[in-house]
Amino acid sequence: MVEIAVEVNGRAETAEVDGRMLLSDFLRGVLGLTGTHVGCEHGYCGSCTVLVDGASARSCLMLAAQANGSSVRTVEGLADGEELSSIQQAFKDCHGLQCGFCTPGLLMTVTEIAAEVASTPSRHQIREQLAGNLCRCTGYHQIVDAVEQALDQAAGGGR
Amino acid sequence: MSGPSPRLFGARVPRVEDGRLLKGQGRFVADVDFPGTLSAKFVRSDEASSDICDFDVKEALACEKVRAVFTGDDFAGAEIRCVSAYEGFQPSAQPILAVGRTRYAGEAMAMVVADDEYTAEDAAEHVTFAYRPLEPVAGLDDVLGEDREPVHSGWVGHAFVRRSMATDGFEEAAGSAAHRVTVELRNARHGAIPMEGRACVARYDQGSGLFELWTTTQIPHLIRAGLSDALGVAESRIRVISPDVGGGFGVKAQLYPEEVACCLAARELGRPVKWVEDRREHFIASHHSREHRHRVTGYFDDDGILLALEADIAVDMGAYSVFPWTSTMDCGMAMGILPGPYRVAEYSVTGTAYCTNKAPYGAYRGVARPAACFSIERLMDRIARHRGADRTEIRRRNLIGPDDYPWHSASGLVYDSGSLPESLDKALEVGGHNRLLADQAAARAEGRLFGIGLAVFTEQTAHTTREFQQRGVPIVFGYETAKVRLDATGTAVVSASIHDHGQGLETTLAQIAADRLGLSIEDIRVEYGDTDQVAYGAGTFASRSAVLAGGAVVKAADAVAETLRQVAAHRFEASPTDIVIGQGCLSVSGSPGASIEIAELCRLVYQRPESLPRGVEPILEASRTYDADPGTGVYTNAAHLASVEIDPLTGKTKVLSYAIAEDCGPMINPTIVEGQIFGGVAQGIGTALFEEFVYDDEARLLTTTFSDYLIPTMTDMPDFEVAHLETPSPHTIGGLKGMGEGGAIAPGAAIAAAVEDALSAVGDVFVDQLPLTPERVLAWLNQARIQGDGQ
Ligand code: FES
Ligand code: FES
Repeated sequence: MVEIAVEVNGRAETAEVDGRMLLSDFLRGVLGLTGTHVGCEHGYCGSCTVLVDGASARSCLMLAAQANGSSVRTVEGLADGEELSSIQQAFKDCHGLQCGFCTPGLLMTVTEIAAEVASTPSRHQIREQLAGNLCRCTGYHQIVDAVEQALDQAAGGGR
Repeated sequence: MSGPSPRLFGARVPRVEDGRLLKGQGRFVADVDFPGTLSAKFVRSDEASSDICDFDVKEALACEKVRAVFTGDDFAGAEIRCVSAYEGFQPSAQPILAVGRTRYAGEAMAMVVADDEYTAEDAAEHVTFAYRPLEPVAGLDDVLGEDREPVHSGWVGHAFVRRSMATDGFEEAAGSAAHRVTVELRNARHGAIPMEGRACVARYDQGSGLFELWTTTQIPHLIRAGLSDALGVAESRIRVISPDVGGGFGVKAQLYPEEVACCLAARELGRPVKWVEDRREHFIASHHSREHRHRVTGYFDDDGILLALEADIAVDMGAYSVFPWTSTMDCGMAMGILPGPYRVAEYSVTGTAYCTNKAPYGAYRGVARPAACFSIERLMDRIARHRGADRTEIRRRNLIGPDDYPWHSASGLVYDSGSLPESLDKALEVGGHNRLLADQAAARAEGRLFGIGLAVFTEQTAHTTREFQQRGVPIVFGYETAKVRLDATGTAVVSASIHDHGQGLETTLAQIAADRLGLSIEDIRVEYGDTDQVAYGAGTFASRSAVLAGGAVVKAADAVAETLRQVAAHRFEASPTDIVIGQGCLSVSGSPGASIEIAELCRLVYQRPESLPRGVEPILEASRTYDADPGTGVYTNAAHLASVEIDPLTGKTKVLSYAIAEDCGPMINPTIVEGQIFGGVAQGIGTALFEEFVYDDEARLLTTTFSDYLIPTMTDMPDFEVAHLETPSPHTIGGLKGMGEGGAIAPGAAIAAAVEDALSAVGDVFVDQLPLTPERVLAWLNQARIQGDGQ
């Protein structure tokens, strides 16, 4: 067993976990943050993406113990109470989700991109940046619409 | 629809379910945890066909925190059977855990139950089986030879069932036709592969004898019916709950052994038992689809008019007949829909559903229609080439026209309405066909392989009683149920027997209910996925939910609104027929002062029964069912136009553009319709280019991760162009038609045509199988070069 201290969505958490426990299982099973979804546990689908110290990470490929001392952000940490973040709102406006299973991973990846974006990327660039997040429902078109809207806002409308 | 004037029907209303899903507040089965829940892990067979000689569970049982290890005999009292009424059908019985014999690689043989998932997984490693491998029936090549032992003992041959039909005039029409072309086509086995795998949590309440199963299913009531059979327990003692589900597409529309096993284990152990499928298990043990081989002959005249059609259809249905569809579904659908959008008068077809040592075969978006569309559209392209005619022109000559409805197809289907030639024109228009032709000319001038392809289809949707009666299934999926209840605060709960796993039904049904009740969408809560909510129903599959649940909601909401009208009429001393409902109020038409808020009226009904007229009961609730006429389905149609470029070095095909013109009748919410189309097209592009279950010679699946089974990523997909036509059905409430599957039907045909067109700059080849992997495309390119050089 390993003792870990992690900040999750701004809250300090300490726990004793099995050394082999995955970060995804820690978030879901120990903290009850079930918004992070597990679609493959192989690192391919991106559903389990969270931000670790601001950088996107696949929580199914990371041990909880490796997150010790880090700050983790999950989908539950995006909205401000009832108020959706501008990225979440864009997904709603553009019908960027259907079943919603892949959505948390996409939102986290886009949140990371939005933090650094200086000008609105092309649709092609958006597709390249998000190619590591699989979605089986949408065919991606409306996700690209949503990300375009969100990144345009994040970049201050600049192109 | 008559009644209150629609305000939300047809509007691009944002989805009501998005809030919770975007905030990570959805509840999926894997998120469900009860105190004391145990974790299950299944030990699966590595051999497709074998006798189980021996097994040893002692070591696993000895592991700390392991509660039980079950094997075949422990659950031998239960099995999954689904027997077709078709004459000559050979039934199968699927054990919950293999008993004495394995019939596909991936079949569950033992179930380890432990305190947590990690322990269960470790202990499962310690369960050992000794098998004697048998020669498997590894696929259609083996069944066609017929020299292998059948998968099930006592069977004669390898077919679950073989059926034939022919029109009376077929022989004569075929014999006298000036020309004929025969094509042989193959579609690879692949699957729905939702991002969420399957999962279930079962608990058993000893006091009441009640089973409660939380499971990832599209068909909660049918799962209850199947469990009732398998467990030998009355339906009143089973509650099935399917909460948020991460995509289904058909693979979650069958009863699976794991669901039965978790129920049995929960009863045995007195604790909740949870199983969450991992991705490898999903590939090897969830149901597969799409594996068809067709041999199709078209008989036509000098103008390329199709006079008769002949087909031999073979489908590899895997090891067991699945509940509730049986193993006849794909074959029957292909036989019926093969003539597709064309005026085929004479038709002869034989279809065979084969049993092999592969995972069982279930539903996947489009059920057989992608293969049928591939066959008829590839045939049309061949006929065009044979006659030296344009591919579009040849279709125009054969398409069912606007004056031909109702069209009685040669296979016995009745197409109610449609806009086939118009949708073709529309697809060419939104897809920029003229621009594509110019691009193609420019590309060819540079020696690039640029191709254009198109496909047209008609999609049977919302088929109900008559259709399923004919299909010989044990349960006839005839109707859906909706219950509408207004509460004392004037808000409504709509409960439905369908399930929503991304299709936006939570929103579209709320739109319908809000309009009928004169409320705003915020005042409506839609619930589904719990067998305790409504009496019965089938669930969500076969492009039916908006039509059938939508119709049931209209009927139930109107019944409730009628009670409101009576109470309001009594209050204002008016006639109920003079009461109008809308914008949260009931008013007497023509009397501006006589109006009462719905919320106020609801409160009176429940809390002031003395205000009710005689004979009206203090309840604002109605349950209604809807079985859409004519019972054989209403027909959506569409045309797809694709352009591609092939990299001649790698053989890789890139989809450059993709346009869809679709007619699904009046749209409740066009944004949601577009989402369904795009999602379907993406799956269809997967079918066309990437997706294939590859086996070794012993029928063991090799493609078991997302690195060797490719589903489309964002960079594989183009932006889509879409246009809508809206031809209402003369039969259904609101003229609605279904459309959930359509997108997935045509991409295989359209993209194959585009690839063939690209290669035609080099030489004439026939693209006859999917998916169009780089290796296959390179082989065709080489063939085209040889063929081109020879000219
Ligand atoms: S679950 Fe982590 S990448 Fe798929
Ligand atoms: S919305 Fe269902 S997987 Fe993306």
